[in-house]
Amino acid sequence: MDNTETLKKVLIVDDEEDMIWSLQKNLNNDKLQVDITVASSGEDALQVLSEKPIDLVVTDIKMPGISGIDLLMRISNRYPNTGVVVMTAFPSPEHKNEALAHGGLHYLEKPFDINELRRVIKTSLAQDDLFKGTVSGIELSDIIQINCLSKSSTTLRVKTSSGREGRVYFYDGNIIHAQCGTLSPEEAFYEILTFKGGMIECISTKELPERTIKKDTEALLLEGMARMDELKAKQNEEKISISSSASDSMPGNIDVISDNKNEEEIMNDLKNLLTEFTSLPGVNTACLVGRDGFLLDSIAIAGTDSEMIGAIASGGFGASESMGNQLDKGSLTMTMIEYDQGPVMLAPIGSEAFLVVVADKEANLGMIRLKIKKHAGEIEKSASI
Amino acid sequence: MGEGKILDIAHVSFLDMIKVMITMSGAAAAKGTLIRNALATAEKIKEVEYATFDDFLAAIEDTSNPITMIEGKSTHVGDFVFGLKDCPFGPSIKNYTSVFETMPDGYADFTEEFNKPGMITNKYRVGEGAGVSPFCSVHQPLRSAVADKIQVGGKKIEIYQLGCKAGSGKKGFADKWISETGVAKDVVDKVLDNHMCCYYIKIVD
Repeated sequence: MDNTETLKKVLIVDDEEDMIWSLQKNLNNDKLQVDITVASSGEDALQVLSEKPIDLVVTDIKMPGISGIDLLMRISNRYPNTGVVVMTAFPSPEHKNEALAHGGLHYLEKPFDINELRRVIKTSLAQDDLFKGTVSGIELSDIIQINCLSKSSTTLRVKTSSGREGRVYFYDGNIIHAQCGTLSPEEAFYEILTFKGGMIECISTKELPERTIKKDTEALLLEGMARMDELKAKQNEEKISISSSASDSMPGNIDVISDNKNEEEIMNDLKNLLTEFTSLPGVNTACLVGRDGFLLDSIAIAGTDSEMIGAIASGGFGASESMGNQLDKGSLTMTMIEYDQGPVMLAPIGSEAFLVVVADKEANLGMIRLKIKKHAGEIEKSASI
Repeated sequence: MGEGKILDIAHVSFLDMIKVMITMSGAAAAKGTLIRNALATAEKIKEVEYATFDDFLAAIEDTSNPITMIEGKSTHVGDFVFGLKDCPFGPSIKNYTSVFETMPDGYADFTEEFNKPGMITNKYRVGEGAGVSPFCSVHQPLRSAVADKIQVGGKKIEIYQLGCKAGSGKKGFADKWISETGVAKDVVDKVLDNHMCCYYIKIVD
């Protein structure tokens, strides 16, 4: 078998012959172990791509005919498994953001050290060794939270079935930029969160656009989730309104929509809300406890005595609150106790109860705080406290 | 040397400890601790069964009834309504106030906390206005939990706390439990004229 068949295929696209010659010579003679093909224009590159599979395209931006950015966009649409590295002798933040926004893995400014290009090619090709595939039934907000939890530096490309598209950029788990039409980056992020169904693609990259979203990621997610809740509530109101109108117009057909729930339904709601916490990576127990220390409900890891945890935690919670009162620090919003094996967080739920969240040391505390802020009101309502 | 006052330090320590608990962890946590303590005490009581309600009353009279064991003799005023002449904490309170004149700070907050509707007071049918001092949070759940150990004619009994009277004479009424049992409030009021505590026993079918 021909050894080149097993090598990764790299296509270099540049209208400068000297550049092509230099890159071909240097890259072919080193230990990269790649199969190099060259093209002197965007059109030629597309021809090569239509004839054989290419793992990585390294392209100049400024070329007659199809520019590097146009080429990148076409590759992104037609050959989503092909990575693209963009080079330019005329760097600008706009070019960089545009290149990265359209799926460029890296952005190199000419002149560059050949070793830098080698490193970039090696890194880009290494992405192919990661898992790829399709996972269905997953929420966009979950993917965003996973990126935050795993402190990813990545680009999330989201495309709805109706063709709307947006991108969210993460650096070290923080959301630094987002794009959706002509919206400002922050508004773009909120808009993307409202997308319903479609395709999500995680593009791993070392190069990311300039940070445009200054807001703390936790606050951003919280605001986004709050907006989604508002949207859902509005949609529900509209549904109820439509339902009522329909009932009004049909005498004898009484459609009663009631908030009254039986005890079992209330307990199920509460369990579901507590599961919001235990489903977070590293969180193993969530208990709702009356301020007197008596357990109201819990989801706990086997072997945990929730009743006892509640009783003990009431002392800790009460002590934290007393300390705040003594120091005139205002109302207690949250308290955390750190142990070798991870933290325990206590947060008030209304005026009569508090939540105990037990986590291991790998857990993302920010995410737990976020969940507490998001669900405290619902838990209070569900528990009727 | 004049006549001194003798302080019962066992009682005084307990009363002051409640104050410390309120200061350190707040009234709610202190209330929970006292109730849990009472329930743990009740757990140590052995189960007992009486063939008839008269046998149950006879056991109160001869002080062999577990309820009598924790509070002394109560009086059945009729229709399953009982009155307790003396509060079991009365001597402790009297001893404390004879030396320090007033009860420790924070007791009012604690009592208010006990009277708030809550899961545990609901379970044991206590509080809801029937608390007049922090000691009620020990006494009332303890009695209700002890009742869980008693059967009359093969049936369980449940105690409903209807009212209580403080040493000052101020009465507290648990409107929720009065309403649930159907006992007239003026009956409870009259019982409290001559007793410190009023409760109702229901034999559960």
